[in-house]
Amino acid sequence: MLTRRILLLSASTILAVRGLPSSPARAQNLDQAAAFIAQTGTDIVTVVNGPGSVADKQKQLQAIIDRTVDVNEVARFCLGRFWRTASAEQQKEYQELFHRVLMINITGKIGEYQGVTIAVGRAQPREGGIVVASTVSRPGNPPSKVDWVVSTESGSPKIVDLIAEGTSLRLTQRSDYSAYLARNNNSVQVLIDALKQQASQPG
Amino acid sequence: MRRLSQPFPLLAAAVVLAAMQVGCASKPPADDPDAVSEYNQTNDPLEPTNRVFYAVNDGLDTVILRPLAVAYRYILPETVRSHTHNVLTNLSQPVTLFNDILQARSRRAGDSLMRLVVNSTVGVGGVFDVATGWGWPAHDSDAGMTLAMWGLPGGAYLFLPVLGPSSPRDATGFASDIALDPLTWVGNGEVVTALGWTRYSLTAIDTRAGLLDDLDKIKAQALDPYATIRSLYQQHRQSQIDDARSDDRTTVPAWFAQPRRP
Repeated sequence: MLTRRILLLSASTILAVRGLPSSPARAQNLDQAAAFIAQTGTDIVTVVNGPGSVADKQKQLQAIIDRTVDVNEVARFCLGRFWRTASAEQQKEYQELFHRVLMINITGKIGEYQGVTIAVGRAQPREGGIVVASTVSRPGNPPSKVDWVVSTESGSPKIVDLIAEGTSLRLTQRSDYSAYLARNNNSVQVLIDALKQQASQPG
Repeated sequence: MRRLSQPFPLLAAAVVLAAMQVGCASKPPADDPDAVSEYNQTNDPLEPTNRVFYAVNDGLDTVILRPLAVAYRYILPETVRSHTHNVLTNLSQPVTLFNDILQARSRRAGDSLMRLVVNSTVGVGGVFDVATGWGWPAHDSDAGMTLAMWGLPGGAYLFLPVLGPSSPRDATGFASDIALDPLTWVGNGEVVTALGWTRYSLTAIDTRAGLLDDLDKIKAQALDPYATIRSLYQQHRQSQIDDARSDDRTTVPAWFAQPRRP
């Protein structure tokens, strides 16, 4: 555990020294992103491991996600090239459904996260945002490497992606949708209907 | 055991050839650049065939492997399962070590060597993973990654019967790992053969049990589980290769300098 953190630290130090842009403004952005993720991590851990009923916890976790994740941007990304072919109403309906399904998928398994801890590492700039490294540990599971992609485009930092053990959640979601669309005549309406189905199921 | 190592490369080759003959996904028209770029990125020209094998595997998994994995997790306490996992990991440590060496990752190789020595002795034949706590953590290393670091392109996505998601490079790597494994070549006779099969079966169940929650979640939540697994597999393999490339771990003892890769 300790070694892994040292490893992460030393890896990011090497990268930092090796001439990645380090203007003061950028460094400030990086620090801000790392602090933002550290705070978000603490909030999540507090809710998940805290007292209260499952319903309470789900509501609190939902509030954290709404506050820290740019869900609409993630939704737009996941629709990929079909975003442009969708009508304005379809875009709106899709985003709302995406939001509902995401919440069900995340908060539905809240019991499984019991005992979770998050150790936040260093932040690094990457195409499309800042990547904050972290190690997520759950009892009975090997610790896993989770990178949080933070975008500051809207002014305040927002999470736009999670990269778990090298796999990007939004990229995976986008392949899922685009494969589904390809098998359904590229019809966004069919996808929306499928999401409706998912949104109506209890987590 | 020696007899066993032969069918795997043959099987892989047969599957690749069969897949090529059965069916190919039609490439989208050139006047739709978005669709073409998606087609190239997905890298799955054999998709119709792959989906057939996916369906077959999924059926086998539902009736055989998944129930075994569920039972395994239900019957045995977590400590027993984690000790079993440790033993299996330790048995495959020589293959990890050889691949670290073939990848010219000397620090990783040093860690693998120490893991093998420490866990086989102090760790009582690998039952206890003492090495991780002593500063020699486990890492992934296999012949598929080695071939990638030697510059061999991955090739198209393959979904193989029984073995699951793969590529020509990873299928070759899988066969090479069996050939690299000293246990493939040690001894013969019925007992050795039985032990070898026990190990393969246990590895399959241990791996499947480790994926139980994730795969259940994918099947419940994904609109197209096949595409989701394809994406996860491709991303995960790439990240394992990237990790091996960029790994400049500090080690105790300080193994000699290792060449940096571009």
